[in-house]
Amino acid sequence: MSAVVEIQGLSKQYGRRKAVDNVNMTVESGEIFGLVGPNGAGKTTTMRMLVTLLRPDKGEIHVCGHSVRKSPRDVRRQIGFMPDAFGVYGDLTVYEYLDFFGACYGIDRKQRASLIKDLLELVDIGHRHNDMVDTLSTGLKQRLGLARVLIHDPSVLVLDEPASGLDPRARVEIRELLLEVARLGKTIIFSSHILADVSELCTRVAIMEGGKLAALGALDQLSERVMPHRLLRIGLIKETVSENAQAIIASCAGISEVRPQEGLGRAEWLSLEADFTGDDKALQGLLAEMLQRGLPVVQFNEDTKNLEEVFMRTTRGIVS
Amino acid sequence: MNEPAIVSAPKKRTLINSLLKPIIENPVILKELRGRMRGRRAFVSLTLYILLISILIGSIYAAMTVASPMARLDPGFRQNMGKVIFSTVVLLEFLMISFIGPSLTAGAITSERERRTFDLLRTTPLTATALIFGKLGSACLYLLLLVLTGLPIQALAFLLGGVGIEEIVVSSLILVVNVLFFCSLGLFCSSFMKRTLTANVTSYTLILLGMLGLGVAYFSLFTYSSFIINSYSPTAESFIAMIAWALTATNPFSAAIVSEILLITNQTLFFGKAPSGNIYIISPWILHIGLYLALTAIMLLLSIVFVKRPDR
Repeated sequence: MSAVVEIQGLSKQYGRRKAVDNVNMTVESGEIFGLVGPNGAGKTTTMRMLVTLLRPDKGEIHVCGHSVRKSPRDVRRQIGFMPDAFGVYGDLTVYEYLDFFGACYGIDRKQRASLIKDLLELVDIGHRHNDMVDTLSTGLKQRLGLARVLIHDPSVLVLDEPASGLDPRARVEIRELLLEVARLGKTIIFSSHILADVSELCTRVAIMEGGKLAALGALDQLSERVMPHRLLRIGLIKETVSENAQAIIASCAGISEVRPQEGLGRAEWLSLEADFTGDDKALQGLLAEMLQRGLPVVQFNEDTKNLEEVFMRTTRGIVS
Repeated sequence: MNEPAIVSAPKKRTLINSLLKPIIENPVILKELRGRMRGRRAFVSLTLYILLISILIGSIYAAMTVASPMARLDPGFRQNMGKVIFSTVVLLEFLMISFIGPSLTAGAITSERERRTFDLLRTTPLTATALIFGKLGSACLYLLLLVLTGLPIQALAFLLGGVGIEEIVVSSLILVVNVLFFCSLGLFCSSFMKRTLTANVTSYTLILLGMLGLGVAYFSLFTYSSFIINSYSPTAESFIAMIAWALTATNPFSAAIVSEILLITNQTLFFGKAPSGNIYIISPWILHIGLYLALTAIMLLLSIVFVKRPDR
């Protein structure tokens, strides 16, 4: 894999407030890269500099080898940008809307027609191609937005909160669509407050806070870095479990703390969360010991992608 | 799918193709016209405009013939009526473009900002120049369509007599240049202001100031010029004449009227003697067109600069 986006020493200041402060990161080709952080962390500012809408005060960004400072037009041909809240031309039909943006990218008229047909099929709104854009629901407008960013076949998609304001079904559908787009070989950089989406989709995550990069890496690596122990989820059948089950688990080798988890797992289970230190062999030994000591175990798994936990431990609630 | 699909098929180049290329290939013009001409709005406004002109011209014709029924056969009277009809149509067209022109473009960029589509455009390779000329082109084409629809009524005046082809050409030139000027003024305000309302108010205020303010300056100069000229200074006389001439050119009405007077008295369309009688100067309509085209170019250039600059 090669780096398609390289960000070096990126800084942006509004008056005395540092919106982005010396951020360095690279995004590899074909990655789904998540940018998370509290409000005011500098995610949107970073994205706007990446897509040539904002001029960096310091530092440099290269997209597919093109500098955002020196050759912004070349950068624009390589990226497709969907802002967090974007408008549509309500007085155009779905087809005309995409045709207009296709023309803005200089795509030949005949080629545009077949391209639009394919894109509308990809985002599954082909049946609405003659409808006015204003008549589409928020979810369908978001799909149309996704078709728009793909019209010029960019290498990198930059999506700022693509699932914001969507109902749960539309959110899942957009998530699946992003996976579909990633399968086409696109690099996707997206920001979101919905951590479940980020952990589900992303190969790597950058956590920003106060304009700075607080953490960067694959979710497993981040979990290991911020959490010295492994997080286990254990479910026991309530009916047959003894009163001191929690104490029994706590006394097992490698376990440092056991907490009840109300509301997680099935109602007929006693759900527990345990901090465990040890390798996979020790983990296997722990399960064997629990069964040997008569615990009715029905769930035993490690929570490897707990971005929420990583996020809470990494950030301190600083706003730049 | 990694290489951008930017394809431009080789086409046979003709002069018409080359001239129309910037219009045909500008996606903004097509998009704007699609939005503007869709539905009943465009049809209704065109019909109302033609109806208004027809009713007014019909009323003038009726009033003049009722006042002197026998004069209808007199060629002098017919020529006079032709002139009245022609100047009324031109005046109405001018009022129409000065009212509608800025409103078509004052929201051109601000509305893109307000409905959050500006960022989408700025992340495409569409240049600021193409965006500005696209917005200008679509507004001008719509206004020129309105002007064109008034042509048959203007031709009526041509049939009655009293109006020469040169007067029609000059008035059409002044109208076209003013279409460009008013649309550019709206675009200029729209490019550096944040709200459409502010851009609209500023455009109309500037037009009012331009028309009334310069008009007042022109008449003030004439009131005081006799006093200054009476001081028997030939330099002052020439100076006043030159300023008066320049002020005449700043206003389309005064430029057209003085040019018409020159045409009638001196039988010349391009050069004439100043009122003081010893200075030869070019006809005000040429000065007016030159001045307004220069201002239009400056405003368009500034609009491009404002649109081009990235956010701070």
